[in-house]
Amino acid sequence: MGELVQTLVSGIAVGSSYALMGLAMVIIYKTSEVINFAQGEMALLSVFLTYMVLEYYHFPFYVAFPSALAFALLLGFFLEFAVLRRAKEPNVLGMIIITIGLEMILMGFVSWKFGAEPKTMRFPLSPYDSLSLGEIFVSSLEALTFVVALTLMTVLFLFLRYSKLGIAMKATQQNKMAARLMGIRTNRILMITWGISSLVGCTAGLLIAPTIMQPYMMWDPMLKGFAAAVLGGMTSLPGSVFGAYIIGVVENLFGGYVSIEFKSAVAFFIIVLVLCIKPSGLFARHYVKKV
Amino acid sequence: MKKTTFLLLAVLVVFLGLASICTAEEGVTDTTIRIGQWGPQTGPAAPWGAVARGTGVLFQMINEEGGIHGRKIEYHMFDDAYNPAKTKAGVKELQEGIGIFGWASGVGTAPGLAVKDYLMQRKIPWVGPAAGSLHWISPPQKYLFAVYPLYYSEAKILCKYAIEKLGKKRIAIAYQNDDYGKNGVSGAEVELAKHGMKLVAKVPVELTDTDMKPHIMQLRKARADLVLLWVAPGHAVRIIGTGRAMRFTPQWMSTSTCSDFPLMMAISKGLWRGVITGSFAQLPDSTSPLMLKYKKAFEKYAAKGERWGVFFYAGIGFVEPMVEGLKRCGRNLTRERFVKEMEGIRNFKGIFGRIDYAPFDPNDPYCRQGQKELFLIQCEKGGKAKSLTGWMEPD
Repeated sequence: MGELVQTLVSGIAVGSSYALMGLAMVIIYKTSEVINFAQGEMALLSVFLTYMVLEYYHFPFYVAFPSALAFALLLGFFLEFAVLRRAKEPNVLGMIIITIGLEMILMGFVSWKFGAEPKTMRFPLSPYDSLSLGEIFVSSLEALTFVVALTLMTVLFLFLRYSKLGIAMKATQQNKMAARLMGIRTNRILMITWGISSLVGCTAGLLIAPTIMQPYMMWDPMLKGFAAAVLGGMTSLPGSVFGAYIIGVVENLFGGYVSIEFKSAVAFFIIVLVLCIKPSGLFARHYVKKV
Repeated sequence: MKKTTFLLLAVLVVFLGLASICTAEEGVTDTTIRIGQWGPQTGPAAPWGAVARGTGVLFQMINEEGGIHGRKIEYHMFDDAYNPAKTKAGVKELQEGIGIFGWASGVGTAPGLAVKDYLMQRKIPWVGPAAGSLHWISPPQKYLFAVYPLYYSEAKILCKYAIEKLGKKRIAIAYQNDDYGKNGVSGAEVELAKHGMKLVAKVPVELTDTDMKPHIMQLRKARADLVLLWVAPGHAVRIIGTGRAMRFTPQWMSTSTCSDFPLMMAISKGLWRGVITGSFAQLPDSTSPLMLKYKKAFEKYAAKGERWGVFFYAGIGFVEPMVEGLKRCGRNLTRERFVKEMEGIRNFKGIFGRIDYAPFDPNDPYCRQGQKELFLIQCEKGGKAKSLTGWMEPD
């Protein structure tokens, strides 16, 4: 019984970092229907710059972390303004290809600037200290990630549902032309969306970096976050978080009781399964365009 | 008359040119020897890319000293990102494009396997693949000279030490689920069987795994008192760290691929202290004249920001026998002569352990396995290495 509980707790713990990446992807998809494959590398750049500020210039955490979030926000703004907005006659597929290109450029830059050798970042909490309840353990960092993921999900959910800006984002996604006619500056909305998404991704990166940092470190969380977002329906924030926890738990149950060899692949099997049964994802309420 | 002289001269030039083409070996000119190497400079295995850069520094040092019998080494290194498809494409491009005399080192079992047949069918020498795989020597290949001690042998030596010196009774292994990890598993199983024991757990780790809790749960469930980590450095750190978070702290042992203690200590936030690994080369702070000479070359030629770590100077050690073979050939350098001279290498000692080759015998895999010995080290405070044994060979 203890083993089962530990497996479930571990699954939820690991699901939290997937949830953050899933949230970041959903925010952009909700407004532009673009899947941002550069999400992980946008976070990667912010995290490596934080590492530089902490290790080379010895700034304290309370300066480095808020600066990282501010940088991530600006990076999101910049990429949307300088790259995506410049695309001629953009369609969704073209935009996705642009994000793949951005992913390669950002990873190449980080590899060139910081080298490939693994690193680790100082953090107020050790990733190897744990909280325990009897024989059930969860690392302090994972507990923090869990709290951050749920808090961000709630804040973003409330923001998108009740704030003027959030409603404008939703309107932009549903009908860009109508939104513009209503006086919404849709380009600015898209830029803000990219900024917020980048900020959420950076938060995930900052919580992953204390374990091991290397140029490839965000690839797996990004893929799992994407899987979680697809599972949740791509447009639902709670859906992506819930999807992430499902993936985390199933991975751990599968690894513990079926086959540890295929543990990482099971997430993608779940996606195929869910998409076959419910193509729009578990939580999506799709806006249907009338023809 | 003038016309006839000109024609005669032209014929002579063409004849001499053709003659030199007919006699010269591919990749060898009067003044150069072309050597190639692949190595991951990008991608997940990029930390091992230091191997190829280390080789480059050795060749630069040799060239500065006048080359080998008047020939400078023209070194062609490319980034394969540890992707076998890229390895094959890059090797073919260089081999068929400019002509390479022989290939030095090259990181990884899978990338090496992708080009092994290509090189061997064309009778192109390849010395010192940077992986201790059984594939290089079973069956032995006439033109392939392995240097890296076998992972299989390393696992045997580690298990023997664990049983006989540390008195461990419940040994488990966490292994990368590929050829590298499986070589470790088979070595451990054979050694344990000799002592009437079995692995209490065999836990595979996939390259994409980042969450190690299920692995630790299996190891903990098996009540292992010693765990062999046959994985990449990043995974080794994650396993030890997750073990610490879940209060599972057996004696950890790992392979020489995780023996860069300063790096391991840095990325594990100090948790690597106490871990025992194999070592196939002298320690980084060795004061042997050869190591000091190489270190000086490193300071002179290595790029800014490069670190004098195990992987870097391993790139030197893997090609030392190749350089020795080239030196023994003299000016008359052909591939066949090179192979013959390599086969004559006995008791060669560079910065690695002793290296011996023997004339080619298809029934003796060890005729192409240069180094068989290694020694065990333990990580101490500050990433210093303490030698636990002298050079050892498996029984």
